[in-house]
Amino acid sequence: MSPPDSESPIDPSANGDELDGTVTNTGAGRGSAIDVDELELTYSDGTAAVKGVDLTVPKGEFFGFLGPNGAGKTTTIKVFATLLSPTAGEVRVNGLDVRSEAGRIRETIGYMAQETSIDPELTAEENIRFSCEAYGVPRGRRSERVSELLDLVDLADVADKRAEEFSGGMKKRLDAATALVHRPQLVFLDEPTTGLDPKARNRLWEYFRRINDLGTTIFLTTQYLEEADQLCERLAVILDGSIVAEGSPADLKRDVGGEVLDVDLEGGQDERTRAATIAQEFEFFRDAEVTETEAGISVTDEAVREYGTDLLVALRDAGLTVTGFNIRAPTLDDVFLAITGEELETDETDDAKMGTGAKR
Amino acid sequence: MSTPNAEDAEGTTADSRKGTSSGNTFFGDVWVNFKRWNLKAVRNPFVLVVSLVQPIIFLVLFTQVFGNVAGEAVSRGLGEGIGYETYLVPAITIQVALAAAITSGIGLVNDIENGMFEKVLVTPMNRTAVFVGKTASEVFRIAVQIVIILVLGALLGADIATGVLGIVGIVAVGILFSLWFVSFSNALAILTRDQESTIIGANLLQFPLLFLSSAFLPLGELPGWIQAFALFNPVTYGVDAARSIMIDRDVMTVIDVSWFGGTLDGVVPGVAVLIGIDLLLGGIAVYLLSRASSSDVK
Repeated sequence: MSPPDSESPIDPSANGDELDGTVTNTGAGRGSAIDVDELELTYSDGTAAVKGVDLTVPKGEFFGFLGPNGAGKTTTIKVFATLLSPTAGEVRVNGLDVRSEAGRIRETIGYMAQETSIDPELTAEENIRFSCEAYGVPRGRRSERVSELLDLVDLADVADKRAEEFSGGMKKRLDAATALVHRPQLVFLDEPTTGLDPKARNRLWEYFRRINDLGTTIFLTTQYLEEADQLCERLAVILDGSIVAEGSPADLKRDVGGEVLDVDLEGGQDERTRAATIAQEFEFFRDAEVTETEAGISVTDEAVREYGTDLLVALRDAGLTVTGFNIRAPTLDDVFLAITGEELETDETDDAKMGTGAKR
Repeated sequence: MSTPNAEDAEGTTADSRKGTSSGNTFFGDVWVNFKRWNLKAVRNPFVLVVSLVQPIIFLVLFTQVFGNVAGEAVSRGLGEGIGYETYLVPAITIQVALAAAITSGIGLVNDIENGMFEKVLVTPMNRTAVFVGKTASEVFRIAVQIVIILVLGALLGADIATGVLGIVGIVAVGILFSLWFVSFSNALAILTRDQESTIIGANLLQFPLLFLSSAFLPLGELPGWIQAFALFNPVTYGVDAARSIMIDRDVMTVIDVSWFGGTLDGVVPGVAVLIGIDLLLGGIAVYLLSRASSSDVK
């Protein structure tokens, strides 16, 4: 039984009987879900993966942890999920210390690893049942819980199929369901949609929103600004082991300074330079950020949607031939460009995949 | 809903849960993992083929093809009256234990590869219980398979001189024998973290270990270098102990004791050696497993 000083209901049965029931941690003044002070993590080969992260996530929030590959997202989330011990700093999860109270933290959190983690030889139902047993869901409630979760992630009709037959999206959904068996107050999702097609991704987003609506705190890592924008109330951007920006998605996009207009041009370097100059001096843009790209120029400004066509006309009037154009929302690349002034080095060029409307 | 405390109290008494606040007990955790691995074993055709079908093929083919020839060698080594079936069955039970032990490491490496290993680490389950449950399911499988081999051997004409007690004894020797190879294959799994390497590493050893021992012929009939190797081969000790029980006579040649005067002279030294190897390799495997599952940065 949980000691009386426990500030949160460790007992999963305490979180209400129905899925749409209350989660008891939503009451005010119950502290933060995650409280991090100067977290550092250095691997034994000397790699400093996390260098002094400070972070507070209030209960009930949908929090996003944004950063490129290798920035330290997974390392950080593994510290929170008690899989890695911090090298330095204080980390409290649900009010419990990650070093001395790891066992009790595990009872109060759900964790969905970056790689889909399900037992392919077991059926969907058996996978969830195993998790129920592993998390000590009382025997009498397991069947009910299993069917609730199968419904939640829309796998009820394939409950008796082995997971090895599932598509990537179905496996991810099953994985998500197994992380929720004990109605955790806090769920960690480590890049849950990487590698999924847009339809599967949208569906997962739907489930995450639903879980969050029930009062569960969600800590999500992602490489995609679009995803964070869709889901998160608040974001922290991590780069090279340190947090470089924090705020709502709107704040971050404000840092970028509007939307992005990509213009493809005929000709070479001279044409691009001329076009860039015209865009820079364009009367309707207040503070346009203009860069030359492979195919033409890229203009970022709050007014590109409104006056983009006027710029195209201006370019034509100057004797330049526009072969294509596209207005898109800023991507993580643009955010990083704005925050750090440096181009983000990614080995992936899948911003397009994230449905930002870029045509390639 | 009422207050968390009221819920808590109600849930606790109603579900007769004790121990940790998650409702898990050590034996409950062992049972959960025991069930999971049994389910996986019957679902996985590879496990069944490697650890049961292959030894059965050995049993049938060896007795039918080599029965007459090998029978003479056995008679020269152990005296008249022992059929090759009777001679071979204890060796096949050890082969079953060996093969099933290989699948233990393969199971672990699969769990590491498909993320289940880490997934289990974030649950509140007791980590020792997790591995005890997995190993218990493998030991259980080995026991069942040895009984199947003994029954099949009896049908082919083998004679278990010590009867039901002998069957229990042979199962016990088989389990004792399997533990060092279970440890070995798990250690291999953690060190390689790669399925192919684990399968190759463990499987490659299986046949040299079996053939370079007293499994198929009396050591006296084999070349000197094999006799020398057999002295350091755990298979020899497992087979000789099981065989001593099978024919109710001391047939252990690598260690000669006469403390008990009879069958136990063949069983006890073998069992003692196996316990020693089990403790050594078991210790290494436990060390590697606890390192792999600890949260210390690597």
